[in-house]
Amino acid sequence: MDPAMGMGLVALMGAAATVAGCSEDLESDIGSQSNPNSQVQLAAQVGYPHRIFNKAISGEPPSNAMYCAVGAGVAMVLMSESVMSASPLIAIAIGAFVAALLNGVFSTTSYLGRNASQTRFNQYVYLDVLRNQILSLMGHAYITTFCIVLISYVMWNQNLIGHPFPFPVIALIWGLCVGAIGSSTGDVHYGAEREFQDFKFGSGLNAADSGNITRFAEAGVRSSMDNAWFCSKFGGPVTGIAFGMVVFLDNWRSTAFSGWTAVVVGVVIVLVLVIYNRKVETYARKKYGPFPEYAGDIEA
Amino acid sequence: MTPEISIIGMLMGNLPSIIGIIIGGLCIAVGVHFVPVGGAPAAMAQATGIGTGTVQLAAGSGLTGLLAAGYMYMTLSAAGTPGISEIVLICATGAVGAMIMITVTMLVGNWVYIYGVGVPPASAKRDYDPITGDPQTPYVAAGTVGQGIPTVCFVSGAIGGLLGGLGGSLIYCMLMWVNGDPAISSIFAIGVFLVNAVLPSYNIQGTIEGFHDPKFKRLPKAILACFIASLLCGIIAVIIPSGAMLSGGA
Repeated sequence: MDPAMGMGLVALMGAAATVAGCSEDLESDIGSQSNPNSQVQLAAQVGYPHRIFNKAISGEPPSNAMYCAVGAGVAMVLMSESVMSASPLIAIAIGAFVAALLNGVFSTTSYLGRNASQTRFNQYVYLDVLRNQILSLMGHAYITTFCIVLISYVMWNQNLIGHPFPFPVIALIWGLCVGAIGSSTGDVHYGAEREFQDFKFGSGLNAADSGNITRFAEAGVRSSMDNAWFCSKFGGPVTGIAFGMVVFLDNWRSTAFSGWTAVVVGVVIVLVLVIYNRKVETYARKKYGPFPEYAGDIEA
Repeated sequence: MTPEISIIGMLMGNLPSIIGIIIGGLCIAVGVHFVPVGGAPAAMAQATGIGTGTVQLAAGSGLTGLLAAGYMYMTLSAAGTPGISEIVLICATGAVGAMIMITVTMLVGNWVYIYGVGVPPASAKRDYDPITGDPQTPYVAAGTVGQGIPTVCFVSGAIGGLLGGLGGSLIYCMLMWVNGDPAISSIFAIGVFLVNAVLPSYNIQGTIEGFHDPKFKRLPKAILACFIASLLCGIIAVIIPSGAMLSGGA
């Protein structure tokens, strides 16, 4: 392949991955999926009923892997000559739509099931919460699936990159990857900051305060839409940057270099990241200092 | 030829592949112990490590490496079936791909802890960071067991990614030796990877900070369990495609 074409494809994949990462994180923030869900689930049980959407379908990586594999599977079938030889863009759009419908089914059953089982804690099923937020969940899932299936198509197509793995398997792996990244990065912003905004910034979350989530918003009762608004300012974009960096850096080194040079370039990237992380860590320790409550012997 | 003899013959003929699958499985099992995962508490900044599950992160990084390794295998196999030296390069490619994924994730995770949550990274398992020597306990928030990803955890995570990517890629190469089909090999490699990522997570019980964590000493049990599991996976991986060929199905 022409090197300029290769770099263009890598850039396109990186851009699509950035959008996918951002929308994946916001989807999990609206639905309170993954680890922060433990607090939403616990809140009613410790006396704080709320109007936050509650769907822990599974961990984010398996659920996103499923949506992306379904999207790619549908797109592959539609594109095959024996079915309808659909254009790739239409096929990917329809595949992502089917995946979004699946997301809707899982989200609905998950919300109804979880909240219905918590009636004894005065946690009710709010039909307006379900009605208002299900479409934004499905919309974000659509964007994520569309972008990831697009990346996978570019990798799989024999005229472009020509990866040997089947189309749905590539989508499954990238879906797993985006879920793992979203769960590790952007969800922390939701779980550790937005869910506990009543507590002082930077004070950490004492385990004794588990379940005491913030239930009132800037105006009125807090909903999951307010959470998405807040997380879209930091948690969502950094998740996008993380996934975009993974897709871009990994593909860039194997497109621009080959053989052992690509391996060495990868190792150099990792070393630079380790050094940069050390810089960020040192900055945080200097900026924030030790916790004032600390009463031990070790000097900061 | 009786079926029993033919199965034994198949297994003996593919012994190097079975050994390779076992080595790959053990690499994954050891790698999972290196990855600093804090599970749900870390997502609430209540524990040191990455705020997600063990298996999910190990699989996310290892399988990203598998994508890079699969492409490299295809490129190198254009000149014939890859030998040992080519397989070393393929495994190195997969290992580096996994390392890039996990280091980027840890770095951005630290951005969120530092800029989004306002807490400095600190380990609660050691008073001083074994690599940098920085004091840790004064920076641990009250009522928590640390937060963020300090340098020792970051380096440990990078080693975990390396081993996970290496193991996944090695298993893929061995499966390609057996059946030569990227579709079957990739799906089976994902399966073997998950088996070897799930078993050690019983050792970890939700959270581990890396090689400096006391739970790391439980590693031998995971190695034994994963050896047996990988051996079974290796035998099945050889029998299924070869059995299909024997019965005329392929």
